[in-house]
This record gives sequence, C-alpha cells and structure tokens, in this order.
Amino acid sequence: MDFTIDDDQKALQDAVHELAARHAPAEAHGDVPVGPAAHDPKTWAAIAEMGLLALPFGEDVGGAGASTVEVALAATELGKARVVTAYADALTAAGLIAHGGTAAQRDDLLPGLLDGSVLIVPGLAEPGRSWSLEAYDVTASGAAGEVTLSGAKEPVPYADAADKLVVTARAGDRTGLYLVDAADVTSTHVRFDGTPAVALGSLDDAPRALRAGLNLGILAVTAEALGAMDAALPMTVEYLKTRKQFGVPLAAFQTLTQRAADMYVSLELARSTVLYAGMALAADPDDATAASRAKVVTGQSGRHIGQEAIQLHGGIGMTAEYAVGHYTARLTAIEHTFGDTRWHLARLAATLDDHQQVDVLA
Amino acid sequence: MHLHLSEEDAAFQQQMRDFFTTQVPADLRARWAAGGEPSADDMREAQRLLNAAGLAVPHWPVEWGGKDWTQLQRHIYLQEMQAASVPPPLAFNANMVGPVIATFGSQEQKERFLPPTANLNIWWCQGFSEPGAGSDLAGLQIRAVLDGDEWVVNGQKTWTTLGQHADWIFALVRTEPDAPKKQQGISFLLIDMTTPGITVRPIQLIDGGHEVNEVFFDDVRVPADQLVGERGQGWTIAKFLLGNERVGVAPVGTIKRALASAKQHAAQIASGDGTLLQEPLVAARFAELETQLAALELTVLRVAANSHGDKPEPASSILKLRGSQLQQDVFEFTADIAGPASLEWHQPDDTDLAAWTALATRTYLNFRKASIYGGSNEVQRSIIASGILGLKG
Ligand SMILES: Cc1cc2nc3c(=O)[nH]c(=O)nc-3n(C[C@H](O)[C@H](O)[C@H](O)COP(=O)(O)OP(=O)(O)OC[C@H]3O[C@@H](n4cnc5c(N)ncnc54)[C@H](O)[C@@H]3O)c2cc1C
Repeated sequence: MDFTIDDDQKALQDAVHELAARHAPAEAHGDVPVGPAAHDPKTWAAIAEMGLLALPFGEDVGGAGASTVEVALAATELGKARVVTAYADALTAAGLIAHGGTAAQRDDLLPGLLDGSVLIVPGLAEPGRSWSLEAYDVTASGAAGEVTLSGAKEPVPYADAADKLVVTARAGDRTGLYLVDAADVTSTHVRFDGTPAVALGSLDDAPRALRAGLNLGILAVTAEALGAMDAALPMTVEYLKTRKQFGVPLAAFQTLTQRAADMYVSLELARSTVLYAGMALAADPDDATAASRAKVVTGQSGRHIGQEAIQLHGGIGMTAEYAVGHYTARLTAIEHTFGDTRWHLARLAATLDDHQQVDVLA
Repeated sequence: MHLHLSEEDAAFQQQMRDFFTTQVPADLRARWAAGGEPSADDMREAQRLLNAAGLAVPHWPVEWGGKDWTQLQRHIYLQEMQAASVPPPLAFNANMVGPVIATFGSQEQKERFLPPTANLNIWWCQGFSEPGAGSDLAGLQIRAVLDGDEWVVNGQKTWTTLGQHADWIFALVRTEPDAPKKQQGISFLLIDMTTPGITVRPIQLIDGGHEVNEVFFDDVRVPADQLVGERGQGWTIAKFLLGNERVGVAPVGTIKRALASAKQHAAQIASGDGTLLQEPLVAARFAELETQLAALELTVLRVAANSHGDKPEPASSILKLRGSQLQQDVFEFTADIAGPASLEWHQPDDTDLAAWTALATRTYLNFRKASIYGGSNEVQRSIIASGILGLKG
C-alpha cells in the first residue's frame, strides 16, 4: 500500500483547487444562502469540462481512464472550497449505469452523463422510510418494454435540474433499477403514477450495481467531507491564534489547544480511510466494507470536527456570514446522505462472521 | 430520602398540569411544540395568561408577584410547563432584569418596571456581549459619560437575542474608565430602544434564522435615573444575574418532550418490514439518551433541594453543562432519525415528507448555541474546577 500522490494526481488537485476557488460561494454582506445548494449550471459545466465526472470510467464509454483515487482527490478540493454540487449524485448514477446497465445502455447514456451534457441523478430515498437500498413503496409493473412506476421518491436532490433519474423500484419481491425522464420534475419530490420507465439492466444485476454505484457516491461524499474538515480545522486553529479574550489569544488556554489536537486526530483518521476507500474501490468497485468504513469514520470525524469548530469559535461560529458553520451544515447533510453512520455500522455488523480480524493489507 | 412526592407536592403537580394543559390554548402550544422561529405574539399571549394566573414570575419577591415556592415546586412548575409546550416567560424579563431590579433597583424603578416586565408589556433584551467581550465580559468597551442628568452612550453590543422585538435593553456599560480594576468600572443601565441613536442590525445564523442582532449606540442619551444600583456596581449585578440565569437552566422538560417526539417519529418511519425504532442501534441510542436524561433530572432535583435561596451554586454549572449537551444530543439524534428527509430545509408544496423533518437539521445546528451562550461549557467547566474542586486554573 502506498499513499503517495503522483505528479498527475498533484496536477489534478491543483487544477480542481483553482476551479473550486473560482466557483466558491462569494463573500457577502447581509444574508447568504443556507441549506441545500441549488444546481448552478456554470459550476457544473466547469466540473464536467475538467473531466471530473469521467475520472473513474473507461475510455470506451467516454471516461478518462483514471480511477476512484482521483475522484477522492477532486471531491476533497471541492469540499474544502464549499463547492456543493450534484457531483456525488451524478457519479452514483453513472456507477449504477456502468455496473447495472446493458452494453447498449452504457454506450447510450454514459458519454452524455460524463461530458456533462445530460444530468442523471439517482432517486433512492422514499418518504416515510429510513434509508435503504431496497425499494418498498415505489413499484414497477408491466412487461419489458412497457414498464411503469408508481409511488414516490423524496427527497431526490437535484431532481429539478436533472434530465433523467435512475431509481429503485420494487418488482415482485426484488428491487430493480429503472430509468425515467425527469423533464417535468420541478422539485425534489418525485411522484410516479403509471409513469413510463425503462429497466436498467436485469434484476439479477441490480443488487451488485446498487452496491457499486452507492460505493462511488459514498467515496465522493466522504472525500467532500474530508475537504470540509480539512478547511474547518485550519480556520479554527487560526482563530485560536488571533482571537483574544482576557488579554491573551485563545490559544493560551490549553483546554482549547488540546481539543484542536483531538480534531486533528479525527481529521487524519478520516483522511486515511477515505484515501484507502479510493484505492480499494479502484481495485474492487463492489467493496462495500471499505466504503462503509469510510462513511462511518468520516461520519464520526465530521460530527466531532463540525461541532468543535463551532464551539471553539464561540458565537461567530454560529453565523451565516462566517464559513465554519456552513462546513458543519454540509458535514451534517453528508452524514444523512447515502446511509448514516448507524446504517453503515449495521451493514458492517452483518458481516462480522466473514472475518476473524481487521485486515487492510489483504 | 423519599422516593415519592409528598401529597402536597403531588397536588401541586396536578394543579400545574391542569393549568398548563387547559388554560393555555392548544393551538398556541402546538405551534411552540413544532419548533422553528418563535412567534413574538404567542410569547406575549402565553406570558400574559401566566401572569394573570400569578404564574409568570413565581421566583420573584412575593411583593412583586412571587410565590415563595420550594425549589422542588419550582422544578415541578417548569417541568409541567415544558411538558405542555407552553412558551416559558421571556428569560430576559423573568429570570434576568426582573430579579435584578427587584434586588438592586430603587423603589421607583421597581414600581415603574416590574409590573410591565412580568406582563411582557416591556420586552427586554440583554446587552452584555460585545465583539471584543464574550467570555471575557469585563473587557467590555461601550462607554457611558454623564452629561448633566443624562448618560451619553457610545459603542456596540452584539448577539442581542430577539432585540428586533425588544422595547428596552438592559446593558452593561463602562462608566468609570479609570477604575483600578476593569470590573469596577461597569454600570447597569436600562435603555429604551426607541431612543434616538440606536440602530439594530440582524445577524443571520447558520440555520437561516435571525434571532440575534448587533445593536449600535451613537450618542444615545439615557436619563440618569435609569441606572440600576450604584455607579460601578454593574459587575456585581451581572454576576448575580448570570447566577440567576442558571437556575432552572437545564431545560429538562423541554429535552424530555423533544426525545419523546423523536421516539414517536422513529416509530412512524418504516424500516425494512418494521420501524426505525425497532432498529437495534436506534433503539439503543434512545435507551442511552433516556437514561442520561433521567440522571440529569435526578441531579437537578438533588441540587435544587440543596440550594438555598437565589444564591447561585457551582453545582448549577453541572446542570448548564450537561443540560446543553443533552439537548444538543437529542436534536442531533432527531436529525439522524429524519435521515434523508433532513436534507430538505424547505419542502415543496406537494411534499410527502413530514413537516418536522424540514426543521430537524436547522434545529440541530441552531442549538449548537446552547453550549456557547449563558456562560459557555468551557466557562462552566472552569467554575466546576475552581469553585467545587478547588483547582485554580
Ligand atoms: C445564539 C446566541 C445568542 C446569544 N444571546 C445573547 C444575548 O442575548 N445577550 C448577550 O449579551 N449575549 C448573547 N450571546 C453571547 C454569548 O454570551 C457569547 O457568545 C459567549 O459569552 C461567548 O463569547 P464569544 O462568542 O465572544 O466567544 P469567545 O469568548 O471568544 O470564546 C471562544 C471559545 O473560547 C472559549 N474560551 C474563552 N475563554 C476561555 C477560557 N478562559 N478558558 C477556556 N475556554 C475559553 C469559549 O468557551 C469558546 O469556546 C449569545 C450568543 C449566541 C451564540
């Protein structure tokens, strides 16, 4: 195992860093947007143009032939700069199509998705249900060629900006993947009522495609979370050095500097786990253990760093004018995306019998 | 030691429960229970209903509407009020400036201010913190200079909660810049918010709300009879007030209600063939939080029973510290229970998502404030370390 970043990867990091700086939220006086980010076509075009969507896919389908390691590096830079986009969503959709679609579907859908001309996002969550890769309340019926869907998906981030959705639906007692047109969707609430759909690949391939697609999404969001932590910690350290109370910088209070040290520990554990997941998924896109562990560690580190970053700033950390609270908000959203810490722990718990001890050098 | 409430206290509990659940309109309580930014009108209505029944300021001197209750009764009262989702009397009035005026004010000030303060005819805000003076409150800079029989105030306050609704502000101002210790140079001033020279600028918080403000003072002229206590006594008064702020500071009833709602929500969210509440890790977290909450409430009861009068106890720091942590833990967990639905902060009109899920993340983020204001958790730990353990830092 080797965590060294090579020259090409360094160049990619630098390029994404610059792109992110250009598209980061502007400094503003007065109110700023809070909460989920709206789709920004300009930022999206820049991301697509740089080929960031194409990174982990083969050249045969319009990919760049790099790997998931590069996805992790790129998403980290976006996270650092607070550039919140449909990146993880579109990658997940691409993963679902790449791993679940027929050859014709891959050839038909991936090039446009990867070059940014067609936005496809996944619709997995069902209202009133906890997170699951299984579909329950959205059902598919009808023979091949005339499939229709019924039920609701919500929330489906970026559905209002998407051209197509790839959604899970119940077919008998199994879960399948389906493509639907999103042209008329105007919000994150997607309702199907005998809506025409096309099966993505076969029901047999769906479980593996779902795992692999989700793995890619998890990698992108955990790397973005890593970037957010990697920005929130230095901001906090800087603040401890400059903010004075009682005639001294806050850094004179050891109770605070020790806590900054704990944040650093959390950050580095997250970094190791995310980079490892990048390597592991490059070798095996189906490695759900590496993905779940990355989600758990970034979930725990993100909560720790997000909360402490605000606390050590005091009141200023609570304000929308100041970036640190936005990082915490984004880390919270990421925790609730693609399965939270408890969901991934439960998934890992179900595999305890598969191994005797933890082994990352397998 | 007794496990059960005395007959008298049990009757008192029933009386409180009956009042809060039958005399405060259900729609008002439902709005309060739903959370989000509080409605000033609802707060006024609730406080006036309570005041009419003699229940707005039970801890004030009897002469000014107090009840001379035991600490246990006061706990029961708060607990029942919070359990019924009744908006509590405005803390700035009932717990801060009211007790200050009752203790340090002149007879004239008491007569002028206490009745409208109890009835929320005057809405007070707290002008203590400044950009440069947070934890180090004694470092405050705002100046008041005597000119004839008026103080002329120049400077800035910040983090002024609900200042946008406030009629008056009670402010710590520096009147004796040459005092040997900076604590000795501070006075406690009551200022009408409509006085010329005052500007209020809202601060947007990370949840999108605007509950705090900056307040700027530009040659604001304040009649000299609006200074409370003596010149230079402001620090003593502030310490009294901040001690007061911690009485009943662990909002046990509110936390209980939030945890109970979370449990109800989890039972309504489908998970596999069962519910989210049946997921082992979720159920275990509920059991953990309920146990921690029970430990907190028992500690509140034990500490309350041992405290004498209104003198703040270092032990009340335990309650502020642990109360804020537990409140934050419950809101964090509530956002986890909302899960993917928590990603949406503003639901579309035809949503299928439950309304509470849109508030879950915002409430979680908003309540990160609880470990910062009213004496941050670091400050509380210092009080415990030095005041109880004798570890001078
Ligand atoms: C939502 C909200 C509402 C508020 N409402 C009001 C209000 O109505 N009126 C009002 O006057 N004020 C109000 N405040 C202000 C609040 O009291 C201050 O934020 C608080 O005193 C902390 O000050 P600060 O924000 O300047 O942080 P700082 O004092 O700069 O502290 C930053 C961090 O350093 C820590 N720290 C500071 N000194 C020490 C030390 N000696 N040892 C260890 N740790 C230390 C703090 O605990 C904190 O974690 C409010 C604040 C918030 C966030």
